[in-house]
Amino acid sequence: MPNVKINPDDVMIELRGLKKSFGRQDVLLDVNLDIRRGETMVIIGQSGGGKSVILKHMIGLLQPDHGTVTVDGVTISSPDFFDTHTIRRKMGMLFQMGALFDSMDTGENIAFALREHHPELSEKQIQETVTEKLKMINLVPEFRTKMPSELSGGMRKRVALARAIALNPEILLYDEPTTGLDPITSDVINDLILDMQSKLGVTSVVVTHDMVSAFKVADRIAMLYKGRIIEVGTVEEIKNTTNPFVHQFITGQRKISVEEEQN
Amino acid sequence: MILRNFIAWIGKLIITGIENVGEVVMIFIRTLRYVPHAYKHPNLIVKQMVEIGVSSIPLLFVTSIFTGMVATIQAEFQFRDLVADKFVGTAACKMILIELGPILSALVLAGRVGSALAAEIGSMREKEELDAYTVLGLDPYRYLAMPRFLAFMTMVPCLTIISNCLALIGGWIVCVLALDITTYTYYTGMQYLFQTMDLFAGVIKSFIFGTIIFVLGFYHGLNAGAGARGVGVATMNVVVASCLMILIADFFMAALLFQ
Repeated sequence: MPNVKINPDDVMIELRGLKKSFGRQDVLLDVNLDIRRGETMVIIGQSGGGKSVILKHMIGLLQPDHGTVTVDGVTISSPDFFDTHTIRRKMGMLFQMGALFDSMDTGENIAFALREHHPELSEKQIQETVTEKLKMINLVPEFRTKMPSELSGGMRKRVALARAIALNPEILLYDEPTTGLDPITSDVINDLILDMQSKLGVTSVVVTHDMVSAFKVADRIAMLYKGRIIEVGTVEEIKNTTNPFVHQFITGQRKISVEEEQN
Repeated sequence: MILRNFIAWIGKLIITGIENVGEVVMIFIRTLRYVPHAYKHPNLIVKQMVEIGVSSIPLLFVTSIFTGMVATIQAEFQFRDLVADKFVGTAACKMILIELGPILSALVLAGRVGSALAAEIGSMREKEELDAYTVLGLDPYRYLAMPRFLAFMTMVPCLTIISNCLALIGGWIVCVLALDITTYTYYTGMQYLFQTMDLFAGVIKSFIFGTIIFVLGFYHGLNAGAGARGVGVATMNVVVASCLMILIADFFMAALLFQ
C-alpha cells in the first residue's frame, strides 16, 4: 500500500447523485464518491457494471443524465461549463488498450500533445521530455522509434502511461490497467502506478476487477454494484467487509449464500 | 393499432433522418472551423494529400485511360456514316470534361478513399484513439478531420483534371490505333465547340464530390458499429451513400451550371 500523506477533507474529485443511461439500459443509478487529493482510489465492480463510465464522466468524455461531477472545485458536468480544455490539461488517462496513435511512433505519441500545447518548447526540449518520461516508465530512450504495432500489450500500456504524464497532470485515470496482462507484467504496471503517486504526487483513480492489483495500489477501494457505490474503505476495511456482495466479489465466489443475500 | 404503429415508424424514420443530416452538417461545420488553423499543420495535410491523391493515381490511370477509349470508340461507332470524323473528338472531349472525368474520379475515390476513411476513423473510435485525442486536449476535428478535408478539397479536383487528361489521351490512342482517325482530326475535333466552362464545371463539381466523400466517410467512421463487422458495414455504407449522393448532386449541378 502506498505511503503518502492524504488530507481527508481535501477532495479532488466529487461525484454526487450521478445517473447515466444508454438507451433503455440504466448503467449508473446514484453514484456518490469523494476522491481525495493525492490518494489512489480503486473502483472495483463487475465487468460491464459502469466503472469505465464513471471514469469517462470524471474527464468529461460523458455527461451525466443527472447529478454533478466536480473536479478540483469546478463543476464540469454543468451545461454552462465549456472550459473542458483547462480541466483536461490537469488530467491524464490510461485507456484499457492503450489507445496509442497507430500512425505515430512511440516518441511521437508522447511528444504530440506536448508539441501542440507548448509551441514555445524547442525540439530539443521536447525530445528531452520524451526521454525523461520514457525513463519514468523504465524504458530506454531508443524505444522512441518503435511503432505501436511492434509493442506488446504491457509495453503499449507503459508507453500510453508515458503519454498520459507528458503534460504533468495532477490527476491520472487508469481504465483496467492490468487487464489482458500476465501477472508479472501486471505487477510492473502496479509498480508504475505507485511510482506515479510517489514521484508526481498525482491523484489516481484506477478502475479494475483485478483484486491483486487493487489491494497493491489502493489507498481506498470503492465497490460499484448495480449502479451504486455500495462500500468505500481502505484495503483492510474492504478485506474485512461484512457486505456480502463486496465479500463475494473480492473472494471471487460465483454465488453468495441465501442468508447473506437476505441481510 | 397497425396504422398507429405504421405512423410511429414513419415518424421515427423522419426523426432519425433529420438527426443524421444534422450530424453530417455538424461534422462539416466543426471541420470548417479549423480550416484557418491549417497553416499550423502542414505535415498532417501533406501526409493526407499523399494518401488520398498520389496513392490513387495508379487506379485512376487505368480507369481513366480505358473510359476515354470506350467513350471514343462508342462515339465513333454511333456516329459512323452520320457525321465527320472530327466530331468523334468533339463528342469525346465534351463527354469526358463535363461528365465522365469528374463522375468517374469521384466514384473511384469514393470506393478507394471514402471507404478507407470510414474504416480508419471507425477503427480509431473502436480503439479509443478518438477519446485519447480529446483527453489530451486535442480536438479530433482539428487533427483528423481538417487535414483530411483539405486533402480532399485539393486532391479531388487535381485528380479530376488528371483523369480528364488521361481519358482524352485514351481517346486519342484509340483514334490513332483502331479507328483510323489522325491526331490532327481528333485534336481539331476536341477544340470544336469547346468552352472553358466545360472544364471549369467539372472542376467545380469535383469540389462538391470531394466534400460529399469526406463528410460521409467521416460520419460513417464516427458511427461505425463495434468490431470488425461494424467497421465493414460502415465502409460499405459510405461507398453506397457517397455514390448515391454524387449522382444526385451531379444532376442538380448539371441543371444549375448548364441551364
